[in-house]
Amino acid sequence: MKIKLELFGASRDFSHKDHLEFNIKEKIEIKDLRKEIINYLNKNFKGNQSFKKIVETSVFCSEDNIIINDNFKILKDQKIGIIPPIGGG
Amino acid sequence: MLHTKIIDIKKDKIISSNAEEFIKSSSYGASIIFTGTVRNVNENKEVTGMTYDSHDNLVLKSFEEIYNEINDKLKIKDKAVFIEHIKGYVGIGETSIIIAVACKHRDQAYILSRYIIEEIKKRSPIWKKEHYKNEESEWLKGNTININ
Repeated sequence: MKIKLELFGASRDFSHKDHLEFNIKEKIEIKDLRKEIINYLNKNFKGNQSFKKIVETSVFCSEDNIIINDNFKILKDQKIGIIPPIGGG
Repeated sequence: MLHTKIIDIKKDKIISSNAEEFIKSSSYGASIIFTGTVRNVNENKEVTGMTYDSHDNLVLKSFEEIYNEINDKLKIKDKAVFIEHIKGYVGIGETSIIIAVACKHRDQAYILSRYIIEEIKKRSPIWKKEHYKNEESEWLKGNTININ
């Protein structure tokens, strides 16, 4: 299963692209995806603490633009957006 | 009566006269146009500009939700609301947001204008990256969105 994680705000620093891709063997929940992202940061950014904090304080949204909680199950290929703490206006 | 738009600065411009025209067309007696601009100093750092990022669909959805709640929360039934927000890089003194409101009475207009900007700050997925005179830049710390 392929999850395309769309990056916004501070999480854009996680990649030179506007998204990350995760190939996951089994269905997972958002809390597991959070761990996958942190694993990616450990591998690629030597566990950069400020990046990890962004992941820990972010919420996520589904591809139909609904903010989802940590128990949301990802059952098929889809886009998920990471929504770091906001501060616009 | 609601108008909302994300203005991608690479393709479009934010124009205050559009807000004025919208408000005039509503024919309500009391109106306020709030404009947010990029300031040159933040926390003792000299700022040269700001990059705004947004999740466009969620932002527009949040603007509509804020508008739809006004009846219940503020008891303001008759109103016109215009909200446009920038996306992309803007320099010092340039406009990042316009909120224009019109109501029957001035007290309602002041309350409504303030309510909308405060709710946007709490709920709309918009991010700011500040650029400094020393050529460094930094995403500003924000608030985690509440999951209902």
